[in-house]
Amino acid sequence: MTDTHATASPWASPAQAAAGADQTDLRVAFTGKRGPLFWLAFKTGFFTILTVGIYRFWMKTRLRRWYWSAIRPGGHPLEYVGDPIEKLLGFFIAVVILTFYIGIVNLLLMFVSFSVFSASWVGYLASFAGVVPLWFYARYRARRYVLGRTRWRGVRFGLEKGAWGYAVRALWYWALTLLSLGILWPRMTFLLEKYRTDRTFFGSARLTQGGRWPMLYRATLPFVFSLLLLAGAALWVGWIDPVSAQTEAEEVIQFEDVIGMLEKGEFPGTLAAPERLLLFPLALAGLLFGAIYYTWVCKRIMAQHKFSDGIRFASALSGVRVAVIYVIGNFISYLALGIGLAALILGVVFLYWEAALFGDTSHVGQVWSDLPRWLTLLLLGILYLFVFLLWGVLHNTFITFPLMRHLARTTSLPEALGLDHISQRDRDNFAEAEGFAEALDLGAAI
Amino acid sequence: MSIGFNGLGAQFFDGDRPVGQEVSLHIASGMLQVGLDDGDLHRWPVSEVRRVPDMAGKPGAVLRVISDPLARLYIEDLGLLVHLPALTKRAPPKGRGRLLAWAVAAVGAVALQIGVLMPLLADNLAGYIPAKGERALGEATLGHIREALDETGLSPLKICDGSKGIAAMAQMSARLGAEQRFRQDVTVYVLDHDMINAFALPGGFVVLFRGLIEAANGPDEVAAVLAHEIGHVISRDPTRNALRSAGSIGVLGLLLGDFVGGAAVLFMAERLISAQYSQSAESGADAFAHDILAQAGISPGALANMFETMRTKNGDSSGVTAHFLSHPALAERIETARNAVDQSVDYTPSLSEPDWRALRGICS
Repeated sequence: MTDTHATASPWASPAQAAAGADQTDLRVAFTGKRGPLFWLAFKTGFFTILTVGIYRFWMKTRLRRWYWSAIRPGGHPLEYVGDPIEKLLGFFIAVVILTFYIGIVNLLLMFVSFSVFSASWVGYLASFAGVVPLWFYARYRARRYVLGRTRWRGVRFGLEKGAWGYAVRALWYWALTLLSLGILWPRMTFLLEKYRTDRTFFGSARLTQGGRWPMLYRATLPFVFSLLLLAGAALWVGWIDPVSAQTEAEEVIQFEDVIGMLEKGEFPGTLAAPERLLLFPLALAGLLFGAIYYTWVCKRIMAQHKFSDGIRFASALSGVRVAVIYVIGNFISYLALGIGLAALILGVVFLYWEAALFGDTSHVGQVWSDLPRWLTLLLLGILYLFVFLLWGVLHNTFITFPLMRHLARTTSLPEALGLDHISQRDRDNFAEAEGFAEALDLGAAI
Repeated sequence: MSIGFNGLGAQFFDGDRPVGQEVSLHIASGMLQVGLDDGDLHRWPVSEVRRVPDMAGKPGAVLRVISDPLARLYIEDLGLLVHLPALTKRAPPKGRGRLLAWAVAAVGAVALQIGVLMPLLADNLAGYIPAKGERALGEATLGHIREALDETGLSPLKICDGSKGIAAMAQMSARLGAEQRFRQDVTVYVLDHDMINAFALPGGFVVLFRGLIEAANGPDEVAAVLAHEIGHVISRDPTRNALRSAGSIGVLGLLLGDFVGGAAVLFMAERLISAQYSQSAESGADAFAHDILAQAGISPGALANMFETMRTKNGDSSGVTAHFLSHPALAERIETARNAVDQSVDYTPSLSEPDWRALRGICS
């Protein structure tokens, strides 16, 4: 437990405020347990299915309340005060606006696509491109909503307006990133985070993102190394010392050929040191690790350079630990999912088999095919939704939970004297809540 | 009388500064009295105290009072809670009218979009798509439909390619088109599926299902369906439908969110097959069919026969056709087809007996 201040009290020892000495170092505790979260996620997910998705606004609200209350800087929980009704309202508003945009624009794009290019892909591409700016816009608005509904010690957080500015910058930085073949990616990461952080408030205190973007390059090391490994392996195996021992005049051996030989029980003897091929999965796994590492270590580096008057942050987040959480969490989620699905399929097979004992199989098959099409679809739909539910619950329990916990426990405020000078800020009233993000399915999840 | 509680470990935040204050806690005369060190006393009516829900972790409770949305009282002594009768009472509904208004607006917007705007736009734009574009649109949708109807999950539904059957089908469509200059070439496919149905796609594609050919009593009924579908092709009904669907898919995807992925495409395929054209479009295609059947020397009454065949053979099952047949105007359409028969004319069958046999075997 990093909750060093925990006395017998569930809240921080109040003596610190008076003494003032220890106040300078504020650690973040995480107090939730997996069990209650599992049931909360399961229950709310189940209601979501029962209500054809309407309850998801309540589900999101309740899960956030839970997570927020588990994160306790200085022993006091964050509080999420978002309202499900306002989320539902926001969704309706977003639907009203987006339905015209998406429907009409899609139709026109398809028309142009088929009239001018005689193909659909142009239309799909354009339709996708048209949604991208909205996507960034919605991301910023959603963040503004969540921060505006988050409190700590009774004081509100907040994010200033600026969603379109964010969308324009995001598009520009993305263009530069693509043009520079990814070399300017850290610049994009940093500047977008700076844009958001510099508009973030806690009460009357404005946060500032310090530091410079080249400092993020060290977070790219595992990714770059894996990329070099991949390139090196490709060069070695394909060019310098080809795996296929055939002369250059002959065709390069095909993957299918190798599989074919293995299936026939022949060892592909023509290969020279084929174990070198293992470098490829290694490099690909490295790339995945590198991507996770980059995302989270950037958060750590930038957290260490965030400050406000008399407040500083520190983070000891471990990129390796986060990657391990992802690996284990995904393994458990997919394993449970696979077992569940297999059990279900077995159940269906068993039902058929049992029926077959009493009558001829053709008759049983007929029962199935005689079901009205809509009923079959409905059953399959319900099945799909339950798989979806199970996966969501496990994802919450085994990925989001440990991530949040690690994030909370590795964060601290080495300097927090500035808190004494902070006062409340006004409520951020905006109608559509995170409706756009919800409607565009950004899956911002928590 | 007053009850005191253990205030040790409890903290009060006034909703202005993020600095906690120690408290003494009493309940007296229906008030929760929160006494602060500086002498201030907050009096919260016990019926107005609420507990913040969904808290994770250690025991302890966070209380608030409905008259002050910001102040928070963090307590450790849970013995206090039994004296607070309305901890979980909900706030009175607020802004429900606004919510309802936007809900109605959202439903209205989608309805307006799918029911009025998109059909209008699609109808007006359909005429401007060049033949080549229509063809591409048709090919793309045929691909989707074949994949959607496939039950093995491996390859798209088979297009029947028995060479004699194809020749017979070509002969039939040639006869129908012989005296008529069609707006574009008509391509006829037979799909290997039991459904008793047929549909037209943009770009002159007419698709019949094997089930329809098997159910038909004689070649004329197939010819009548073919003529009807060609009628749709000529009036660009499928193009309108496909354009509409392109827009609707976006809207549906928006509404259903992450619950369905490929379901939208499936839905479009379903919609194109069942092709719920307007009543005027249907009677237009019928009239067209009567004309070209008559011109080809085939009895227009065959269309009426086909409708009846479909009704008897398929009357009470399979959703798509059932819906098609329950169309209230069907009896009227049968009637109209019967009336189009000219008793003085000597009609000839659309195919010879061997050719008809060949057509029936197109999928084997």
